[in-house]
Amino acid sequence: MNHSLGRLLLLFFLLGGLPVRTMAGDENPSWLDSFLLTGWAEAIQSMRTHRPNDSLTSRVRLRLELEADFDAFYGFVSVNTEKNWQIDGETGVDLQEAWLEYAAGNWDLRIGRQIIIWGRADGVQITDIVSPPDYTESITRDLDEIRIPVDAAKFRLLGDALVTELIWIPVFEPAVQPSGDNPWAVETNRSENVHVTMADSDEPDSSLENSEIALKLAAYLSGLDVAASVFYTWDDYPAYHRITRSQDDDFFVDYAPRHHRLTVLGLEFSRPWSDFVFRGEAAFFLGKYLETDDITMDPMKKDKLKWLGGVDWTPGDDWTVIGQITGDLIMDYDARLADEAHESMATLSVSKKLLNQTLTLTTMLYYDLNENEIYTRPKVDYALTDALHLMMGADIFCGDGGDFGNYRNNSQVWVKAKYSF
Amino acid sequence: MDKQSFKPAIHFMIMLLTFSPVMATDGPQTGKEIMNRVDDRPDGDDRKSVLTMTLINKSGRQRIREVVSFSKDFGKDKKSVMVFKKPADVSGTAFLNWEYDDPAREDDKWLYMPAMKKVRRISGASKNEYFMGSDFTYDDMGDRNVEEDTHTLVGAETVDGHECWKIESIPVDTEDMYTRKVIWVCKAAEMVIKAEYYDKDGLLKVYKALDFRQQDGFWTLFKSEMNNVSRNHKTVMTMDSVQYNNGIDDDLFRVSTLQRGSIR
Repeated sequence: MNHSLGRLLLLFFLLGGLPVRTMAGDENPSWLDSFLLTGWAEAIQSMRTHRPNDSLTSRVRLRLELEADFDAFYGFVSVNTEKNWQIDGETGVDLQEAWLEYAAGNWDLRIGRQIIIWGRADGVQITDIVSPPDYTESITRDLDEIRIPVDAAKFRLLGDALVTELIWIPVFEPAVQPSGDNPWAVETNRSENVHVTMADSDEPDSSLENSEIALKLAAYLSGLDVAASVFYTWDDYPAYHRITRSQDDDFFVDYAPRHHRLTVLGLEFSRPWSDFVFRGEAAFFLGKYLETDDITMDPMKKDKLKWLGGVDWTPGDDWTVIGQITGDLIMDYDARLADEAHESMATLSVSKKLLNQTLTLTTMLYYDLNENEIYTRPKVDYALTDALHLMMGADIFCGDGGDFGNYRNNSQVWVKAKYSF
Repeated sequence: MDKQSFKPAIHFMIMLLTFSPVMATDGPQTGKEIMNRVDDRPDGDDRKSVLTMTLINKSGRQRIREVVSFSKDFGKDKKSVMVFKKPADVSGTAFLNWEYDDPAREDDKWLYMPAMKKVRRISGASKNEYFMGSDFTYDDMGDRNVEEDTHTLVGAETVDGHECWKIESIPVDTEDMYTRKVIWVCKAAEMVIKAEYYDKDGLLKVYKALDFRQQDGFWTLFKSEMNNVSRNHKTVMTMDSVQYNNGIDDDLFRVSTLQRGSIR
């Protein structure tokens, strides 16, 4: 554990791990009443279900969140400190978010490092692409732990039913994918005579012309939420451009990954009816570079549509059922592309609470309809006290060679303890 | 704790908050008239309060829930916001409800969950679910239409020194979780101060108002308890910092305010 982490833990224990803000209405309020320190600490340990039955996830993490509330001005800072026994690069102290907000009657402005979340999907990202994803532990992390904060200014015009949102992101932030010794890095099998070099990814500099801009109009009406957006961005994932050559029986591939400009048009809606909420989302990617099946061939630039339809059902007695279907549709399809013309996936989430809502049983199932592969995440969560939750669960991958099947040897069971304060 | 735990909670906060001193010169003649009076009490133009629930199990272990509630009338409609303060793992969760007077129109509800950092549209809740693990269902707390039961005035009794009407309420829906309720309505406050809940196995729960008095001209419930005799579990509910007609800003009840993640 490094010194910074130790100092933060010391600070936490000195503060007694308790919120420092007192309830409004105290007789002698002080400036300290405007501050609130909260957070959580958690430890997780997993075991691979396949040989050699080793650990894939082993870490402790402390999150501290500090709020400062001065009427129209509001500030927020969150810090993660982590010791990770599996992925060295994750150990350390990270500033998660740090932003300042000013709220007037009909507009507000938030400036700083922040997580921005769009969309209506559950456990799937369609229009939710403003904050890029961190797949260091693949998709086994909860979605709220996957998003990477961006340095941005977010301005909103606030009507009674209509919200206009304008976002400026001057600093590019790429998606993070597992690499190196990370057990979640996918190995690529190549024949012995293929030699590959990989240059550093060419990322856009931080400049005004390289800024990302987003505009979203959202309406919250009686019985219907709708939103439309346009996002002029950079692709979070680089396109793997390449130069190839052959010499005798050897084949050489020099990759030069590069991020490209991308415009994404988005639509979303939510519609409640009785015990159901129907949801839909679509994102149209204009000019996205897609990988080919041929190692000698550069990525191809195509338009792509991602879509989702879903329904939430809350029948009562502490049951929740969520079903979704998503799809990726490539326009003007070329048979040499690695992906199929239309790929689709179904998800099913079922949750039930027991024992005065202290015990929660949950499962989330992803079913790849093209590859016939499954990823499922059953979980048991028991609230030993209001603050302390004990959990156990599993990440089960079934398939062969697809997005889920690649991890078939990474299926794991895990236990976790989480203390909130 | 997931989203359905919070859904219609705002309804019962409103019902709990206010009890007006309506003293009709011509007393109600039927059980339904009495229950309509209980349901229709005026409660000011806006209101704010802090609700604390202490959940006590059979071994005496306690769990605490704390909620800050705001609500405001918009003509005959009502908009409400609840912000959860305790326990820590749900602190910051906020629930917005637009409740319409027209019974044919479904309420609009949104939920903000801090872990997800976004607002979700949610549906009408199942009313027989228990609120935040307590012994109160949403129905128990007032989110129940008078028309959903057949109310019969069976007599008058005194409870803890208060003159009451005694009413038997039978659910119209035979699948309801209760087979019948016996309710004592305080004549002076026109509020339920005791209730017994029965299911097919007999007595299930007993409700009692422990402290109620007038504040700012409105009868206000400050403390009550629900004793679930079938599972040896009890919930004590207290109401603090009750404020009426404070001129709460309309902006508080917008989805865009909920999206900020910090009701202030």
